[in-house]
Amino acid sequence: MTLFGPLGLSLAPYIRSSRTLRRWIKPFADWYVGLAGYRKVGLRYDDLLVEERDDVQRALTRLTPREAYDRAYRFKRASQLSILHTNLPKDQWTKPEEDVRYLKPHIEDVEKEENERKVWDSVHVERK
Amino acid sequence: MFRTSAARRASRLARNFATVVDTAGVKVAAVDNGEATSAVTFLVKAGSRYQNKPGVAHALKNFAFKSTSKRSALGTIRESELYGGVLSSSLSREHLALTAEFLRGDEPFFVDVLSSFLTNAKFTRHELQEYVAPVCESEATAAAENPASRAVELAHILAFRQGLGAPLFSTADNHVTVDYIKDFASSAFTKDNVAVLGTGVSQETLSKLVEQSLGSLASSGSLSSPASTYFGGETRVDSHHGPQTVFIGFGKTGAFSPELAVLSSHLSPQPSLKWSKGLSPIVAEIPETASVQTVLLPYSDASLFGLLVQGQTTEDVKAAGKAAVAALKEAGNVKGEELKRAIAKAKFAIASSAEGRNGLIATLGPKVLSGAASTLEDTLSSLDKVQASALSQATASLLKTKPTYVAVGDISALPYADELGL
Repeated sequence: MTLFGPLGLSLAPYIRSSRTLRRWIKPFADWYVGLAGYRKVGLRYDDLLVEERDDVQRALTRLTPREAYDRAYRFKRASQLSILHTNLPKDQWTKPEEDVRYLKPHIEDVEKEENERKVWDSVHVERK
Repeated sequence: MFRTSAARRASRLARNFATVVDTAGVKVAAVDNGEATSAVTFLVKAGSRYQNKPGVAHALKNFAFKSTSKRSALGTIRESELYGGVLSSSLSREHLALTAEFLRGDEPFFVDVLSSFLTNAKFTRHELQEYVAPVCESEATAAAENPASRAVELAHILAFRQGLGAPLFSTADNHVTVDYIKDFASSAFTKDNVAVLGTGVSQETLSKLVEQSLGSLASSGSLSSPASTYFGGETRVDSHHGPQTVFIGFGKTGAFSPELAVLSSHLSPQPSLKWSKGLSPIVAEIPETASVQTVLLPYSDASLFGLLVQGQTTEDVKAAGKAAVAALKEAGNVKGEELKRAIAKAKFAIASSAEGRNGLIATLGPKVLSGAASTLEDTLSSLDKVQASALSQATASLLKTKPTYVAVGDISALPYADELGL
């Protein structure tokens, strides 16, 4: 598990659980997402996750064929836009409701499995 | 003195399930002979004849012991290894059997492992892709490359078409998805479809555990399979693996017929004595490099009887096949000593197969599930009652039906059915 980056430690669950904090932080978060600009080239947040890792590679194999195809399409479109130094027309930007974490649950599953394997590999058995 | 005590102990050994108890709607049968290990089998009426799509039953079989909401696949394996248990699942055309073998006293854990697959298996898509599908594929390939199993598989398709003719194995071409498996599992895993069979476990313990763990199952399912009808036919399949193979089969609908078992043991060239040739009528005629096996596959509403002829060359197969068919035609005239010998051989085969744990489950499990008397006595006594006239009648009616003929191997040279005298 990495300490930093999109898969690392995060305060987000805590902020989301508190109504006041959420109300205060949400505008800044939205502003930051807009500034990051990935939605303007049609990507989703989970497309930005570092994929050169064993667990993410394994998670990627668990996408449905449709999800995997769409992901590849978004990448192609985004790199083409990068070459053209332009963004998508505004009506084709990723909408906030489309920006779902489609990959993160799979990565978490893979991580949970690996952790469980580590636990079983080093388990200390006591006879009752 | 030693002999008497040994004899007494032997007579105490129960080879039948004494009682079948209805526990919360599930049939539970257990026999305890004081073995050091115990085994529990969940026998489910979910064989390939009931599947909703070809290959689903096979995929479900390989999904056994994968993740459930109670523990993950890895957890199941590691924890049963710590207990020193062995988990296995097997599939036939009628039944799916989930078995756990373990040391005495560990039954709460292993009954829980088995029942959690029935009650709350997850059937995840990635497990299907990563673990289940490759195993299905390799099992299907192994079966397809073995000419004998391929011939028997094809014979089922020709003989019964629907139901029993459904393929036992799942290949990638079947496109089995988790939704089909979930559907099939939810309609198969119901109280009236499951029997719990224990050996080396006391009836009360097992009943109590089953009541706790399977109480939440739905009471009745919606699985059905069309009643079997026998068709027969001929097919030839090119194959370059293993010996040249011919299967000559005959089907019969209806319950288990003792005449067929006697006929099978009369024809079987399997010698009772090592290094001898046996007394079967077939054995004198067949070439050294060829072999003939009798195959008797009884199902709940039909049986398939056949002769599996294998040889190094197609000429061997032709000679052996001719001899086998000639012996089968003569088999109606068996009487006297020969008949007695065949009956004794058939009885011994059935009785000795029920001696072992797997044989006991295979022989008596279906009876427990269908609610019939769960003893071997009636089967053995029905074999005793076989008369020469009944045998010749059964043979004649068998020969009157259209044969199921499968040739696997070099199809340009393997004989056709009419060339063997069928």
